[in-house]
Amino acid sequence: MSLPSIFVISEDTGLLSELCVGARPLGEKLTAVMFGDKAAADAASCGADRLIYCPVDNDGAPEDYAGAIAVEIKKNSGAFVILGNSIRGRALAGLIGAALDTAVLTSVSELTPEGDTLICRRTVYGGTAQSSAVFTTPYAVVTVGGGIFGESTAALPPTADISAISGNPVRKIKRISRSDKLESAANLAGAKRIVDVGRGLAEEADLDMCRKLASALDAAMGCSRPVAENNKWLPKSVYLGITGVQVKPDLCFALGVSGQVQHIAGINKSKVIVAINKDKNAPIFKNADFGLVGDMYKIVPELIKQLS
Amino acid sequence: MKVTVCCKVVPNEDEIQVLPSHELSMSGASWKISQYDLNALESGKKLAAETGGTVTALSIGKTEALGESKIRKDILSRGANELSLLIDNTHAFSDSLETAKAIAAALKDAEYDVVLCGMGSSDLYSQEVGIQLGALLDIPAVNSVTAITAKDGVLEVERTLEDCVELLEVPLPAVLTVSSEINVPPIPSMRDIMQAGKKPVNELNSDLSSATPSIKVLSELAPEQQERKMQIIEGDGADAVSALVSFLKTEVL
Repeated sequence: MSLPSIFVISEDTGLLSELCVGARPLGEKLTAVMFGDKAAADAASCGADRLIYCPVDNDGAPEDYAGAIAVEIKKNSGAFVILGNSIRGRALAGLIGAALDTAVLTSVSELTPEGDTLICRRTVYGGTAQSSAVFTTPYAVVTVGGGIFGESTAALPPTADISAISGNPVRKIKRISRSDKLESAANLAGAKRIVDVGRGLAEEADLDMCRKLASALDAAMGCSRPVAENNKWLPKSVYLGITGVQVKPDLCFALGVSGQVQHIAGINKSKVIVAINKDKNAPIFKNADFGLVGDMYKIVPELIKQLS
Repeated sequence: MKVTVCCKVVPNEDEIQVLPSHELSMSGASWKISQYDLNALESGKKLAAETGGTVTALSIGKTEALGESKIRKDILSRGANELSLLIDNTHAFSDSLETAKAIAAALKDAEYDVVLCGMGSSDLYSQEVGIQLGALLDIPAVNSVTAITAKDGVLEVERTLEDCVELLEVPLPAVLTVSSEINVPPIPSMRDIMQAGKKPVNELNSDLSSATPSIKVLSELAPEQQERKMQIIEGDGADAVSALVSFLKTEVL
């Protein structure tokens, strides 16, 4: 059995294509929804049966189309709706879900066919458990990250049926301005080695020492949430954890990280975890392959010396 | 400005036990205010102070979560003028729409200019309740809010996305979901804690029959623990570091 109708919706056309390729085998009818004009739609190759585009001008936003998209989805008596797990994706998902009288399951990490629906797996209780759930309503709405369907080299035929969304955008909120962020979002998701800095770091200037270690190990820099959000010593895009980035490098080198369950959830798919912490009872040591209990300010300079 | 802040009382995740079957047991866990709702309470406190307004904290949950005065005082020590509680022991509140419908029902006769929610509850973390609540109330809803300024009957709201920052003008009433980066919630002072005991607590009895679930949870299981070697050495001298280097050279480099 498979799903009668799947909708894939994203403001990121790359993700849209990737999700379409992955969703294709799961359902009979696949409809993709993107945001842009006809030219962008013609250029987007997503392999769905039908591609709908929603024109968004400078003052508008994809979220303005939530109502119109829900009307389109309701032309089917039931549908499984998949969006990307970006901030915008979650806003769109919530609005579309409410219009379809259903909840949204976000950050779904696995979708497994079961009869005419999909079992949705996601992390709960700060990383302590995985929940498996199914929707009991005719419409289901989930948000997912890239890579959920694994790596696929399948090529789908281009979509022949391309059309503009029938309804109009509804704008309740006025956009005064939009400015691009200056810091580039580091892509830790693909890093093979990461130096993970925690609250054991005494001062911002000590990041220099950590960067030298990262350099010696040919690693990227990551950190725990407080280092990014409270201290603001590193950008938000590199904090690892249940609410941050989840990584699967060959090596995660945790420096002064205590190992709270929310942080471990971000790094526990690492092949090897090394931990340095002066507290021998720090939970990180239960999650490490190798650890040194001691002063990182003695260990790191010596380590850099021995590695070069 | 009348601010309502939604807060959820959740089991302390550090005290959740994993049983041999990998199922979870909450029976030994104490209750706490969900982490990211502290950001919402602090935002509410600031917004009310700036506009000469008030904060009503709102919480919905079971007797075991909300019945004790300790948790009520904790909520009231963080800037709220009063606390509205809806004690309900029949709903699981496992999904965002069921929860949003319950909050909408609790707000039916309430007066508010803005409703603030945290980024997501620290237990189920759907991150969707604020947005769905706005949709149900047919008022604007914005997520990932990193700054709020009151201006002449509207709110100027900064919303931080992955690659850009939007400045929005949001008409009232509205629902705002604040990001955890909007503020660092302070520890309540002795004065805040003492005054909390004197603030009013209103128990609501809203009709929650429309708050029905959209999902069925099949299981909640702790994942298989990845076997880690746990080779731990106590020491930070040259010898200890050499052992680390050997390990790295064998396993990684």
